[in-house]
Amino acid sequence: MFAQLLFAMSALLTVGGAIAVVVTKNIMHSCIFLLACLIGVAGLYATLGADFVAVTQIMVYVGGIVILMLFAVMLTGGKDFVSRAQNLLGLAPSMGNKWTFSIAILVSIVFLLTNISLIGNIVRSHAPKTFGNDYPSTVSQIGHLLVKDHVLAFELSSVLLLGALVGAAIIARPRKQ
Amino acid sequence: MMGLASYLLISLILFVAGLVVMIARKNIVAILLGIELILNASALNFVAYSRYVTNNLDGHIFSLFIIVVAAAEAAVGLAIVIRFFQIKETVHVDEATQLRN
Repeated sequence: MFAQLLFAMSALLTVGGAIAVVVTKNIMHSCIFLLACLIGVAGLYATLGADFVAVTQIMVYVGGIVILMLFAVMLTGGKDFVSRAQNLLGLAPSMGNKWTFSIAILVSIVFLLTNISLIGNIVRSHAPKTFGNDYPSTVSQIGHLLVKDHVLAFELSSVLLLGALVGAAIIARPRKQ
Repeated sequence: MMGLASYLLISLILFVAGLVVMIARKNIVAILLGIELILNASALNFVAYSRYVTNNLDGHIFSLFIIVVAAAEAAVGLAIVIRFFQIKETVHVDEATQLRN
């Protein structure tokens, strides 16, 4: 029941966020809807029993990449960046309208359900096997796989990240003409 | 309701949305958003197959490496976008003609 509720809300958030990314004109709103979509994908990972991937998705995507994209949008706004004054019921100016608030409520509910699911997995994996333990925690198995079977890809990803870091810093550096 | 087919359907919708964003948008940052959607679709497929078909954790590993590559790609891509904006004062993709002839 709980898993089905989490699945339904995550699927709704993912599909709705993806469609909203397509149809929204404003690029800033597209970034916010992409954030909702990625939180929905994290909820889907939680329903699949992939707790470590769900947490990594929230940390890297929602906490890193989308924020980076928002910074890039704000730095490259220029003249074609439109900002419309919206308000909620005429009470607070520039606080978003009811659509953004409903999206925010849905995002927070899915985030809460994802966290409850992950905590439940952790509690169940440490409890004695008396009740249904269909989703054991995957963190230790992923750790063993990363340093045994997939150690070459693991090390190569560190080289890739270092190269991306240095390359991004060199490319974005302002140059004197 | 929760089966392999529903996850594949959601992943298909994500992929198509990313493809439409990549084709239809003219903002370079929006094209990067489409790439992120497509990478998420593939990672979701990996985890879904790992749960319902193979029953091991190799799909999770693939998904984690997809997230790593997406982070690196976003960093380099946004650096290119910011550098391009410093040169051309716009992020419209049709203005990127420096490599032509």
